[in-house]
Amino acid sequence: MSDLPIRVRSVLKRFPQFTLQGIDLDVPRGRVLGLIGPNGAGKSTLLRILMGLVRADSGDVAILGRPMPADERWIKARVGFVSEDMALYGGKTLRWHMDLVASVHEGWDERRAAELLLRLDLNPDQKARGMSRGQQVKALLVLALARRAEVLILDEPTAGLDPLVRHELMQSLAGSRDERQAIVFSSHHGEDVSALADDVVFLHAGRIIANAPVAEFIGGGRSLESAFLERVSGLSAGRAA
Amino acid sequence: MNTRVIGRLVAKDCSLMRVPIALYTAAAFSGLMLAARGGTACRGAGITLALNVLIGVSFHVMLVPVLGERERKTLAFVMSLPVTPGDAAVAKMLGSFVLFLIPASVAATALVFLSPVDVFSAMAASDRSVLSHLAGWAGYYGVVLGAWLAFFSVVLAAAIVSESVGWTIAVLSVLVFVFGNFVLQVAPTLGWVGRYVRDLARGGTALPVTLAVETAAVALVVAVMLRLQGRKTSFV
Repeated sequence: MSDLPIRVRSVLKRFPQFTLQGIDLDVPRGRVLGLIGPNGAGKSTLLRILMGLVRADSGDVAILGRPMPADERWIKARVGFVSEDMALYGGKTLRWHMDLVASVHEGWDERRAAELLLRLDLNPDQKARGMSRGQQVKALLVLALARRAEVLILDEPTAGLDPLVRHELMQSLAGSRDERQAIVFSSHHGEDVSALADDVVFLHAGRIIANAPVAEFIGGGRSLESAFLERVSGLSAGRAA
Repeated sequence: MNTRVIGRLVAKDCSLMRVPIALYTAAAFSGLMLAARGGTACRGAGITLALNVLIGVSFHVMLVPVLGERERKTLAFVMSLPVTPGDAAVAKMLGSFVLFLIPASVAATALVFLSPVDVFSAMAASDRSVLSHLAGWAGYYGVVLGAWLAFFSVVLAAAIVSESVGWTIAVLSVLVFVFGNFVLQVAPTLGWVGRYVRDLARGGTALPVTLAVETAAVALVVAVMLRLQGRKTSFV
């Protein structure tokens, strides 16, 4: 078992309008990493590279000690992924989706799924089409958590959710952290990151501009958002000088 | 290849498409009944309906389970399961074939009435064995559905790899233009085409050769699709 469930070295990904570059990242076992950055900073791209949904142009990614994408199938069987850009099949019920996921994941735990349904107040017989965005995200989380994934990768799971659902969701994630080797998630909400994450990475214009324990950035009334803005303005001032 | 997961993904697409496929199959049966009833108007309506089913189901399968996955944001869900892009592409191709073949087999039966010969009367008058008739039908289905599948697989592969409606329509247009012109303008002028069609109708050597060529064409398309899929860098 690897001591670094997530290890990223010199990852580069070029798009016509944007480049993610020089990404080095380690997430040690038992840690939760939060990603903070504005829209277009590269958070989703980085998380998709970790999940094998986007291929990096260069660099190395290892999840649970195995290389991505070479061992993609093995890794995906052990990683839960939820993204704001992900949807369920509208005409099908949550139960249908649970059966599909259970049929391809050996680690699927029906009892755990039932607990999560109860806790997140979801009806498994409801069709995805009739669910609110918050219910869809909670349903996706049930599908990711009940398979007993060793690593969780969550791309803006709380985006567009009302405060109550956001709170429920963060509580579910906090409750599940002991079962995982690592959790990586991105969020626009600094308070979500400070509440759940041990470490935080600030991403700006496709680069990591800071990577440290959350405690180093907050305190004395300072929030993660203000710490991020300070870093960005520091960079701008440095460039101007 | 993860055959278990591929099987599950094929079953998923069949489950998602069960209502439209049932309707296409019902329409194909209606076309067959109409064509079998006799009379120019009924026969024409039945054959037209059967052709509509073949074209409609081909487009439906390309647009909804293949191109629709990305648009509806369900592709990220599928790709987060323990699959490689190659597994997902093969599952899409197989699923589309299964979905297509159910109504298309019925529609292809209706197209028999396009023949200038009354096939069913000829079968009744013939002293050949039941097995011989069955072999003839199997050959007919193999040639007709195999040709459609070979054609369909090229467009499907374009849809799976490009995930773009524009590229898919472009490939379809080129194929229709090339094959359409060949069948309507070039083929009638070639002597060997006439000999080939007559040999095919008799169940001669042209039949196994045609089936082998169709199978090889589909296999080649799948191999090229997997190669191109392996070069893609984004799967959401």
